[in-house]
Amino acid sequence: MGSLSDLSEALVADIDGLVLFSPSSGHHQQFGSLDDDTPVVVATENPFDAERFVELPLEFDDVQDRIRYGLEGAMEHGFVEEGDVVACSAATFGDNPDTLVRVRVDEGMRSGVYALFAESRADPSVIRDVFEVAIELGKKGQKGKPVGALFTVGDAGKVMNKSRPLSYNPFEKSHVHVGDPIVNVMLKEFSRLDGAFVISDSGKIVSAYRYLEPSAEGVDIPKGLGARHMAGGAITRDTNATAIVLSESDGLVRAFKGGGLILELDPEDY
Amino acid sequence: MYQFTADAVRRVLTGVSTRLWLAGAVFVAGVVVAVSVGRLTAGALRRLGAPEAIEGTAFDRTTRRFDTTAVGIVSRIVTYGSVVVAGFAALSVAGTRAATQFWTRVAEFLPSVFVALLILLVGLIVGDKIELVVAERLKGVKLPQTGIIPTAIKYSVFYVAVLVALSQVGVQTLSLVVLLAAYVVAVVVVSVVAFHTLLTSAAAGVYLLLNQPYVIGDQVRIAGHRGIVQEVDLLVTHVESDDEEYILPNALVFREGVVRVRT
Repeated sequence: MGSLSDLSEALVADIDGLVLFSPSSGHHQQFGSLDDDTPVVVATENPFDAERFVELPLEFDDVQDRIRYGLEGAMEHGFVEEGDVVACSAATFGDNPDTLVRVRVDEGMRSGVYALFAESRADPSVIRDVFEVAIELGKKGQKGKPVGALFTVGDAGKVMNKSRPLSYNPFEKSHVHVGDPIVNVMLKEFSRLDGAFVISDSGKIVSAYRYLEPSAEGVDIPKGLGARHMAGGAITRDTNATAIVLSESDGLVRAFKGGGLILELDPEDY
Repeated sequence: MYQFTADAVRRVLTGVSTRLWLAGAVFVAGVVVAVSVGRLTAGALRRLGAPEAIEGTAFDRTTRRFDTTAVGIVSRIVTYGSVVVAGFAALSVAGTRAATQFWTRVAEFLPSVFVALLILLVGLIVGDKIELVVAERLKGVKLPQTGIIPTAIKYSVFYVAVLVALSQVGVQTLSLVVLLAAYVVAVVVVSVVAFHTLLTSAAAGVYLLLNQPYVIGDQVRIAGHRGIVQEVDLLVTHVESDDEEYILPNALVFREGVVRVRT
């Protein structure tokens, strides 16, 4: 069995830091007392007040996404630096840490997933709520049939000025916020309508039924995506909004910012 | 010998007037009622969830140290109060001699003492509980100075409880009431002065949210600040121009008026 422990030792040799993605209190204390650099904890909540903590807005099912987000956040907070080699312990199957990944932190890691949440105009919690609504919608569809939906989050004033109504706005004079308990059902009903949902920085649903009219020049999104994605991607280039798009054809949830595709999630994984 | 004791018993029995027998019966019945009333009180308090409600208060901790609970103390006060009342009822039934003028006054006075005690107890518990709740609420605000607010509220509640209890017993409390009034006026004046802009903004915000004279996306000019409305909430309106974002209190929106710019 000597070769097996050699293998794990090679993984953790000369690392500059440790990142725990599925921390248990025992782990944290154990490693915390090991040397003066306490491990970075990346999780949805911080149950034992880890000093160096990056909050996960979503339970990224894909370990790669999770690690990318965590390391980007850690870089942003200055917990790790470019060129550091870190070991990440994460849970791939189940809830207990079962995976050890050795990663070299470099600028290429900056995919913008962290900035999508933490540095958008809208509150991170609002973006998370919209993601949850989109994922829910993608999972269940409208009466079993797949639906598509387009949400623009943040910078609502500019988005409203760069779009026009397709019909009467069902949310006029209402005070509905994403994250309100009734909203999921409501959005599911309204997803039958064509056009985009416009959501403000604080999460207020400003309008549905909007036809977005951005200029689509210089938008860099993969070929093969339809008009909905193109509109969503383009509006994020013209404004500071984030667009979250649920595709009707392949059922994936995609997030656009600054005219580019930032994140792709499969609702079936959540 | 046997004959003699039987005679003695008979003499005692006949010697004691029916009135005394009646008084004894009244007292015994009173004690029974008192005990059951105490039990009922404890049961009702428990069913209302009183032990959970006061859990963690200083009073609760103190009573625990004496191996009892707040519910136990309240029910005991109720029981003893009822027993004393029963005793006086029995005395008045027994005869006029026992119930002299002094004792009548004591009898009239005692219930209010018990009520005052109960009020004091409730005041203590409520004050403690409010302190806990407010402290819990303020936990999110990471500012050490907020620690004084729960304490101030606690002692205000204590003060009012003491005041009510004292007036229940009949002590002259006018000066204390004046003090309380001065305190309340001071608090009100300070908060009105301090929160004046917030309150006017909130009142204006309610109108803006209900009637929506302008909505997100409109071009407006408020007090010389021109831009697109980005957000309207209870206290402020966010207006954004090309490179500046103005956060304007709603009171200002009302005072200066809004210009909606048609494009």
